[in-house]
Amino acid sequence: MNQSANVLYKVSQKLEQIEYDAVVVGSGVSGAIIAKELAERGFRVLILEAGTGQDLSTTGYEQYLASFYSSVDKDNNAPYPVNASAAMPRSPGIRKVQPGQPDASGYFVQNGPYALDSTYTRAVGGTTMHWQATTTRMLPEDFEMQARFGQGRDWPIRYADLAPYYNQAEREIGVSADVEDQTYLGITFDPGYVFPMRKIPLSYLDKSVARRLDGTEIELDGEAKRLIVRSVPQGRNGVPNPAYDNGKGYVPIGAVSAHQSEQGERCQGNTNCVPICPVQAKYDARKTLVKALATGRVDLLPRAVVSRVHIDPANGRVTHVEYKRYADSGCTDVETGVAKGRVFVLAANAVENPRLMLASNLPSSSGLMGRNLMDHTYLLAWGLMPEVTGTMRGTQGTSGIEELRSGVFRKRHAAFRIDIHNEGWGWATGSPYTDLLDIVDNKNKFGKALRRGLVDRISRQLLLAFMVEQLPEPGNRITVDPRYKDALGNLRPVVTYNLSEYSMAGLAYCRQLSRRIFQRIGVEDHTYYDPADYGYFTYLGQGLVFRGGNHFAGTHIMGTSRQDSVVDFRQRSWDHENLYLIGAGSMPTIGAANTTLTLAALCFLSVGHIANDLRREKSTTVITEGGPA
Amino acid sequence: MSFKPIKSLAELHNYLHATIQLEHATIPPYLTALYSIWPGKNSAAVHILRAVLVEEMLHLTLAANVLNAVGGTPDLTQASFVPVYPAYLPDGEKDFQVSRQRFCRQAVETFLKIERPARAPNEQSQMVRRKRSSAAILSMLPDNEKDIHYYSIGEFYQAISQGITYLEGEKSRCGETLFIGDRARQVTREYYFSGGGEVMPVVDLPSALAALRLIIEQGEGGGDGAFDYEHEISHYYRFEQLLLGRYYQTGDQPGCPSGEPILVDWDAVYPMQDNVGVADYPQGSELHTAAREFNAFYYKFLQKLTRAYSGHPELLMAAVGDMFRIKEHATALIRNPIPGQAQNAGPTFELDEYAPAVAPAEGDLV
Repeated sequence: MNQSANVLYKVSQKLEQIEYDAVVVGSGVSGAIIAKELAERGFRVLILEAGTGQDLSTTGYEQYLASFYSSVDKDNNAPYPVNASAAMPRSPGIRKVQPGQPDASGYFVQNGPYALDSTYTRAVGGTTMHWQATTTRMLPEDFEMQARFGQGRDWPIRYADLAPYYNQAEREIGVSADVEDQTYLGITFDPGYVFPMRKIPLSYLDKSVARRLDGTEIELDGEAKRLIVRSVPQGRNGVPNPAYDNGKGYVPIGAVSAHQSEQGERCQGNTNCVPICPVQAKYDARKTLVKALATGRVDLLPRAVVSRVHIDPANGRVTHVEYKRYADSGCTDVETGVAKGRVFVLAANAVENPRLMLASNLPSSSGLMGRNLMDHTYLLAWGLMPEVTGTMRGTQGTSGIEELRSGVFRKRHAAFRIDIHNEGWGWATGSPYTDLLDIVDNKNKFGKALRRGLVDRISRQLLLAFMVEQLPEPGNRITVDPRYKDALGNLRPVVTYNLSEYSMAGLAYCRQLSRRIFQRIGVEDHTYYDPADYGYFTYLGQGLVFRGGNHFAGTHIMGTSRQDSVVDFRQRSWDHENLYLIGAGSMPTIGAANTTLTLAALCFLSVGHIANDLRREKSTTVITEGGPA
Repeated sequence: MSFKPIKSLAELHNYLHATIQLEHATIPPYLTALYSIWPGKNSAAVHILRAVLVEEMLHLTLAANVLNAVGGTPDLTQASFVPVYPAYLPDGEKDFQVSRQRFCRQAVETFLKIERPARAPNEQSQMVRRKRSSAAILSMLPDNEKDIHYYSIGEFYQAISQGITYLEGEKSRCGETLFIGDRARQVTREYYFSGGGEVMPVVDLPSALAALRLIIEQGEGGGDGAFDYEHEISHYYRFEQLLLGRYYQTGDQPGCPSGEPILVDWDAVYPMQDNVGVADYPQGSELHTAAREFNAFYYKFLQKLTRAYSGHPELLMAAVGDMFRIKEHATALIRNPIPGQAQNAGPTFELDEYAPAVAPAEGDLV
């Protein structure tokens, strides 16, 4: 079984003579789901992927692993090759933005006032190649932020509308979780529903925290909240639940491999899920792509960077997309091509979708293309547990605290969830590498004393990551500027990013709560926010540091009219009736839920409508044949 | 076919004990070859060895399920359960011995013999009578069975399938069944799964035959080609790819793979001494200590498996973690030279000093 059979490494001269049913831009989770679902309904699909296409083989994946192991910076994109033709944002090298001086040293042009260190991956499989695979559902109240709290925007659909598609997304991603743990704050499931696999067990560290913290009451804006350490739902293989799908069960999907390598059917507890799972127990979009390619109706063209969307000015319909194809990552032998289809689906992510539209001079009649850029802002707090708690065991995140995702306080400040990190202080301090340097260089330890010193320091580390919601604000945005082009001449994304009072108040409350939690569980607080840090800001006299969450959203926002939004509830462009812009860019709010599960659910919602459009158009074509267009 | 048929429950139990012993007997040689490869080298070989190992562990578990289903109790802790290598396989294939040795051509050639297709070259040689040597390990077969030998593992399993079918037929004529085992002792998919075939509970004749068929097919292939009916490539052809330097793909005839080339670097391997034993390490040396630690840990691991197969399947979850420890212990040996010699150390799998003379009661196990 050679799964890369339909990967087009050589472009046939005839490609532009083929009219596909759908042309999908991007092979990440959104593009993969759309392609697979359309192909299974009998439609022919072309996927254009900007990144290289080595990824569908074991060898290609092992090259990623080797790059990761040998990389000094273990950042989100460390495994994925530097590629001038399809550059991607990388967090090392991020620095403060000086007022009035955009920083164009990375792929993003950082226009400030804050530098955003969030990243995505331009490779086959997209950002699921480096994601942590946390698959929380949004809360019902997250869809009604304006109606309930007078903040942000309301969705044109509600939780109940999306619920059946959440089920489909949880199947496709292969989510491990227990319904009992996930039924909270209004989240409901169909009667008898179970997740495909049972929850990933809590780590020893989680249990140590839970033992001391569970049941702690806090009061916020007159509401009492009881803190509970809960298991985190996640897209990685665990123990299949025999009750899934009315007793049919679920078969975990392991590593993508042409040679039946038979690994990855179960998580082994490696702690480098981000940026790459060594055994492929973590879901990534290649697992869906393989199913799409197996239909025989999907062609995947890697190393094809879409540079322009062309429309028919008479009716606004997209006629074709233009792409630049490169021979290798050194941007040599670039050729321009054209892809034609009846429906076009932009699934390139919430930065690349609006970037491409703006570069094509298609700003949306709402003027909102690229605006309302959201991300989750993270506040980190770290300290040492009172005793050894086995830090570094388990996947990166097995539990969290969800209670502060909801409450009347959302009228005043941002909601958040808390992740308990099993891999220690890494994100905050660069541990364990920085610990090693310190013990060797400053403490002059070697041999047994060095080993002992490392164990003492690392195995007590606790890092709480507060994932704070951000509201849609038109001033936070992606734009393009002819002064900033990449190696292929494509316009680069210019990021304008600020923190609102609402966000800052939420972040500041998180710091306050972290102190209480640490006090409660006897943690020695080592949190320190460096004024020189690019994420440093002050709020009410207190200095804090935020980090980006890699959850870009909102930039082709969904709404009820062409005046107030870019796409409708189906993610179809109001301006261009055969164009869908899909992914987190469509989300009007993100609450304190990691975005991937919700955007995957939206894809399942959209694909039915795309299929309907294709069928309807087919019959229309027959009826009006020979008549006026 | 001219097997000596299995005619009694006691005989069946003995044969099934031998299957467990047999499936396990392949694990030390495969593990040793796998761990002898330099880190980051010979990716294809690593994946092939690993995939085969995962399936051998599946077979071990399926064999335990069958034995449990017919009222037996698996025991992996008895003296001589793990053979002294070089060893003949427990099903009595007499034309070759299996060694613990580093990844090399000779090792892969042996692996091919282990996994060779079921049919004997001619009917005469199918069942060979041979006096049991001290190195052979079919210890649980009664004396009058000890000179029974099968040409291949597949034939051995066919004999068992026929025996089970015969005995269940006898039982059902009396309104009884052979499958009286406690269902709680069956290992199900919740506790074990691997991509190549699933663990299945054995509760009746069809499930028993399905379990045995899966073992045979994964080892040797089921159809005429390299791939079985589930389009899975069998162990024999997986290993053959390493000698032929090319992957099989669907539609290929045996011996003629047409997929991507495989580059094998036979030198990117630690020079482990074949069948190295604790006695080869100087008394009091670090290697000596490490080798004994390995053996003690491995014996505990077998105790844990025995308990998992005796009504505590949840212990298999923890056993996955133990595999990492086994790898650490093993590679610590394989990557170090024996003092004063050109060859490296390795794990010895000499467990007899830990095995009690009499099987311990269940409560004594870890």
